[in-house]
Amino acid sequence: MRIFAAIALFVLWLVLSASYNLIHITIGAIIASMISWFTPAGPLHVRRISWLAVLGYVPWLFGRILKSSFHVSRLILHPGLPIAPELIHHKTQLTSDGELVVLGNSITLTPGTITVEVAPGELVVHTIDKSSCKDLVNGLYDAKVSHLFLAKGDQ
Amino acid sequence: MTWLAISLIVIGLVFLVIGSIGILRLPDVFSRAHALSLTDSLGAIFVLLGLAVYEGFTINFLRIIVVLILVYLLNPVISHATIRAAYRSGLRPSKKENK
Amino acid sequence: MTTFFFFVLITLTLLMLVYFYRVVRGPSVFDRVLGLNGISTKAIVLLVVIGTLFERVDMFIDISTGYALLNLVGALAIAKFLEERGASEK
Repeated sequence: MRIFAAIALFVLWLVLSASYNLIHITIGAIIASMISWFTPAGPLHVRRISWLAVLGYVPWLFGRILKSSFHVSRLILHPGLPIAPELIHHKTQLTSDGELVVLGNSITLTPGTITVEVAPGELVVHTIDKSSCKDLVNGLYDAKVSHLFLAKGDQ
Repeated sequence: MTWLAISLIVIGLVFLVIGSIGILRLPDVFSRAHALSLTDSLGAIFVLLGLAVYEGFTINFLRIIVVLILVYLLNPVISHATIRAAYRSGLRPSKKENK
Repeated sequence: MTTFFFFVLITLTLLMLVYFYRVVRGPSVFDRVLGLNGISTKAIVLLVVIGTLFERVDMFIDISTGYALLNLVGALAIAKFLEERGASEK
């Protein structure tokens, strides 16, 4: 578990420092192992995430972002400004911290919907239009996010 | 390759301009955040992707991708924090009904 | 190609002026914070464009990474402060 974090930090060091002589690589290895050793394990365990589902989720989210971006662009450029903003209370079955973070971030990243308030089991979402919150109300986001994590419930 | 980079940057600039128009036109702070999220999530991403493609597949490509992932992860956090502060201090979205 | 990047630079600067209008005029204090957030996103992109223009991308990417991280800390601090205090001052 810790060794994965150390390897990830070391790869990030290699990408960001971009100088490959012995002393820089040694410093990077020492710092990466020290950080991963002293940091307590957070609530987001690497083993609980199914990385295959993440690989499918990211392109799907990018497609959603593209689609709703065109919708919001049309709303902004429309001369009559046909927006109908409202706050909706979205009940969800997701309760763990990791799932709520991923769900809230995805909602905020998609143009047209913004997470306003987060509590376990309920999100307050501001939407700019009726049609941009359709998939959220249908529960499509919840279903996609719940597939990302293997063990649900605790943590 | 250069033309792919130019077209990606131009697409990104178009989204940035649309986001700025939204910042000027939309009526209240909640709606303006939508325009800002449009700017962040597509405009900046396309411009950075175009610059990375122009750079070619060197180490700098990977480093621009790291900046891109940072923008992608951090900007929703910032706009959510701002909007939550606005909500908790009593602002409510204006009902502008002209469908 | 230099002309094109110069054009991109000018466009980004003009867009930052649009956001600066929102910072100066914004009716509530949250509009100002939102405008600053937009300006900083543009500044991250602008730094990488400047690096490409000067052919020193390796240096400017570090600056823009640091700018992005500092911007996160500053924006979260401002949002937290405003949340505690409330928007009493218009």
